[in-house]
Amino acid sequence: MKKSTSNLEFKLFFRNRSAWIGILILLLTGSAGLYFGKTFIANQQAVIEKAAVLQKKNTLDNIKHFNKDIGLIFFHNKFSTANFPDRWAAFANGQRDVNPYLISVTMLGIEGQLYDTDITNPVSMLLGNMDLSFVYLFLFPLVIIAFTYNLISEQQESGIWSLLKSQTNALVNVIWKKFLIRIAAVYAVAFLLLIAAVIFLHLPIDATLAAVAGLIILYLAFWFAVSIFIVSLGRSSSYNASALVAIWVAICIVIPASLNLLLTQKYGVPEALQNVINQREGYHEKWDMPKEVTMKPFFEHYPQLKRYPFPADKSFSWFWYYGMQQMGDDQAIKSRLAVADKLAARQDFTNIAALFFPTIQAQLAVNELAGSDLNAHLEFQQAIRNHHEKIRLHFYPSIFQEKDIASTDIKSVGLKKFIPTKVHDWSRLLSLLIWTLVFTTIAFKNLKGNALVRNTDSK
Amino acid sequence: MPNITFTIAKQTYQSTFGNKATLVLTILLGLSLCLATYVGWQNFKTQNNQRLYYKNMVRAQWLSKPDKHPHRMAHYGYLAFREKHELSFFDFGIESFAGVSIFLEAHKQNTVNFSEAGFSNGMLRFGEISIAMVLQLLVPLLIFFLGYNSISAERESGTLKILLCQNVSWKKLLWGKTLGIIGVALTIFIPLILLTILLWASLSNWQISIDATLRLLILILSYSIYFFIVSAITILVSAFQRSSKTALITLLSCWIFFVILMPRIIQAIGTKIHPTPSKIEFANAISEDIQKQGDSHDPNDPHFAAIKDSLLRRYQVDDVKKLPFNYGGYIMAEGERITSHIYSDHQRQLNNTFDKQNSFTVLAGLLNPYLSLKQISMALTASDFKTYVDFQNQAEAYRYGLAQKMNKLQIDKISNHSPGEHEKPLSISKSNWAEQPDFNYKFDHLSNVLKHELLSLMALFTWFIVILLLLQYSSKWIKTI
Repeated sequence: MKKSTSNLEFKLFFRNRSAWIGILILLLTGSAGLYFGKTFIANQQAVIEKAAVLQKKNTLDNIKHFNKDIGLIFFHNKFSTANFPDRWAAFANGQRDVNPYLISVTMLGIEGQLYDTDITNPVSMLLGNMDLSFVYLFLFPLVIIAFTYNLISEQQESGIWSLLKSQTNALVNVIWKKFLIRIAAVYAVAFLLLIAAVIFLHLPIDATLAAVAGLIILYLAFWFAVSIFIVSLGRSSSYNASALVAIWVAICIVIPASLNLLLTQKYGVPEALQNVINQREGYHEKWDMPKEVTMKPFFEHYPQLKRYPFPADKSFSWFWYYGMQQMGDDQAIKSRLAVADKLAARQDFTNIAALFFPTIQAQLAVNELAGSDLNAHLEFQQAIRNHHEKIRLHFYPSIFQEKDIASTDIKSVGLKKFIPTKVHDWSRLLSLLIWTLVFTTIAFKNLKGNALVRNTDSK
Repeated sequence: MPNITFTIAKQTYQSTFGNKATLVLTILLGLSLCLATYVGWQNFKTQNNQRLYYKNMVRAQWLSKPDKHPHRMAHYGYLAFREKHELSFFDFGIESFAGVSIFLEAHKQNTVNFSEAGFSNGMLRFGEISIAMVLQLLVPLLIFFLGYNSISAERESGTLKILLCQNVSWKKLLWGKTLGIIGVALTIFIPLILLTILLWASLSNWQISIDATLRLLILILSYSIYFFIVSAITILVSAFQRSSKTALITLLSCWIFFVILMPRIIQAIGTKIHPTPSKIEFANAISEDIQKQGDSHDPNDPHFAAIKDSLLRRYQVDDVKKLPFNYGGYIMAEGERITSHIYSDHQRQLNNTFDKQNSFTVLAGLLNPYLSLKQISMALTASDFKTYVDFQNQAEAYRYGLAQKMNKLQIDKISNHSPGEHEKPLSISKSNWAEQPDFNYKFDHLSNVLKHELLSLMALFTWFIVILLLLQYSSKWIKTI
C-alpha cells in the first residue's frame, strides 16, 4: 500500500510537463557550463604551453641581439611563471578570468611588473563566466523553487486538499512523499551532472571531489529547506512563488551586491596606486643621486654581494643599475604590505558575511576548492616574487662581474610552474548545515502544528 | 470613449497602491534606490578623488625632476589615471572590471592595471548595487509582482465577462491596465529620479554641464520606455494566460531567462567564436612585425642601417658623430614611430575582436530589451567598453607624444658627442619638463555616443513599437474565459 502511493506520486510528478522542463533546463545549462568552463581553462593551458616555447625562443633571441652586453640581456629577458589551472578550475572558473595566470617578468623591479593584467574583455567579465558552478549555485535553487512552491497550495487550490484531509490522517506524510520525490529528482540531476563533470573534465576522485559533493548536497538541501519553510506557511501558490523568488533575488543578488559595495567603500585599496608611485620614484630618483645612496642600502639588503667590486668611478654600470631597481622594490615594501593587509581585511569581512548567506559561502567555497579564488592568485604573486628573487641572486654575480653570457645557465631557465595549495576548509560547510537545519525545523514545526489545516479551514 | 481607458487605469492604479504588499515592496525598493544613489555617489567621489590626488602627485613629481638627459625622462614616464564620468554613479557598467592606472613610458606599451575586480575575492561576481541595477533588474520584477494578476484575477473572479459586456473593449482594457501599472512604476521612478538629480546636482555644486544633462534626459527617457515595455508585457501575459499562477510563473521564468541566463550565454558564445590572443602571443606578434620592419634596438637592423647611410650621404660626413644633431635621438624617434605604429595596429585589431565578441550581446538586445537598455545606460554614463578603449587610445597618444617630445629635446639639445665612461652624463634644464602638458582624459561627445549606440537605441524603440502594436491589435487572440 505504502509503496504504491509512492509510485503514484512518482508518476504524478513526472507526468508534469514543468518537471521535465526544469530537469531539461538544468541538463542543458549544465552541459553548456561544462563546455564553456572547459574551453576557458583549456585555452589557458594551451597558452601556458606556448609560453614555455616562447620563453626559450625569446631568450635565444635576446642572447643573439645583445650578446656583448650581459646586463642588457637581462634587462630584456623575461622569465615566465604560470598559475597552472587545477582540473577543478574548469568546474569553477572563479577569478581566473580577472587575474592573470601567466606573468612574465624581467630581473628589474618586480613591483612594477607584477600587477600587469592580461588581455581581457571587461564586458565578458562583467557578464560573468558560464561554468558548471554557476548552474549549481544560481539555477538549481530556481528549479528547486519551481518544483516545490505549489506543493501544498496546489492541492488546496484544486480542492484536493479537503479530500486528502478526510481520507488520511497523516497529511505530513503525503506532503513528505511529494517532497521526497522532488528532492530525489533534483539530486539525481545534480549527481548526474557531477559525474559528467568528473568524466568530461577528468576530475580526480579525491578529497576535493568529496568536498564539492558535500557542498552541493548541503547547498541544495538549504534551498529545499527554505522552500519547504515557505510552503509550510500554507499560503497561495502565487504568494509562495513570489516569496521564494524574492528570497532568491535577495540572497543571490541584492544582499551580496550591497555587501560588496560596502566592502569596496570600507576597504578601498588606494595603496595599490601608492605602491606604483613608490616603486617608480624609489628607482628613478636614484639616477640623480650619488651612487652611495643606492649601494649602501643595497649591500645592507644583500651583504653577500659586497664581495663583487663595485665600479664607483664609472658614470654608469649594470651593478648600479640593478641596485637602483632593487631600491624601487625596497621602497615599495610598506605600501605593498598595506595592500596585503587590506585584502586580508576584505577576506575576513567576506568570511563573516558568508556565515549568514549560504550563497556567498558556497561561492567562496567552490572557488577555494578549485584554486581559482583571490587567495590562490595572491599565493601565485608570492611565488613569482620568490622565483624573481631566486633568479636575481643567481645571475647578479655574473652581471656584476660582466661575465660572458655563455658562462651562465640562462638557457636552462624554463617556465616556472605554480600550483596553488589545495585548501579544504570543511568548516565552510558547517554554516550551510546550520541554516538548513534551522529552516527545516521551523518548517516541520509548521507542518506538525497543523498550521496548514487551520489555514485551509479558515478559508 | 477614451475615458473608459482612463477609468480603468485609475482604478488599477488605486487598487495596486491600496495593496499593503505593494506599499511594502515599493518602500523597500525606494529605500534601496536612495541607498544606491547615496553609496554610488560616495563611491564615485572617493575613487575619483583618489585618482585625482595621485594624478596631481604624479604631475608635481614630473615637474620637480632635476636637470637630466631627456631620455631618462622618457623612461621615467608618466602615470595616467582613468577618471570616472560624473554620471558613472548612476550605472557602474564595466568600471569595476576595467583597470585604473597605466604607466606610460618610452618604447613600451603597458596595460591598464588595478581594477576593482582584481582586489575582489568573488563577492563582485554577484553584481553591484547601483541605481541602474535596481532600475534594470528589480523594478521589472516589482512590475511583474504588481501586475501579473491584473487581468487574470478579473477572469478568475468572473468580473472580466461583466467588464467586457459593459461596453469595455479588450483594447481599452489592455491599455487601461497597462497605463495603470506604468503609472505605479512611474510614481516610484519619477520622485526617485528627481531626488537623484537633485542629489547629483547638489553634490556637484550645481555645476552641471549641458552634455551631462542631455545624457541624463535620454537616460530617463530610455528607462521610461523600458518600464512601459515591461508593464505592457506583464498585462499581455496576464491576459493571455489562463490563471494568475501561470501568468506569474511565465513572467518570473522570462525574467530569469532574459536577465540572468541569456546575457552570460550570449557573451560566452561571442567569446568562443571570436577568440582573442593571449598577452604573450600578442606581444610576440608585435615583436615579429617590428623585426620585419626595423628594430632600433638591434644594431644590425637593415632599416636603420639604411637610414644611417642616407643621413651620412645627405650631410656628407663619414661618422654619425659629425652630424649636426643628436643621432641617437633621431634613431630613437624613428624606432618609436615604427613600434608605436605597429603596436597601435595590433591593438586596433584586438579591439575589433573585442567589439565582435560584444556585438553578440548588442545584437541580442533585439531579442532582449534588458540588454539593449543596459548598453544604452552604460554608454550614456560613460561606463562602457567604448569609453575604456577611448581612454586607452588617449593614453597611448599621450605616451607617444611624450616619448617623441623627449626625443626631440634630445635631437635638438643634447650634444652628439657622448661623454666618456667616467665623465658626467649630459643633461638639459629641468625647465623643459613643463613643456609636456598633463594628461587629461576627454570624454566623448554625446552625439558620438548616440551614433555608436544606434543599434541598441533602435532595438529598444522597435520593442516599443511592437508592444504598442500588440496592445492595439493582439486582443483578437485573447480568450475571455
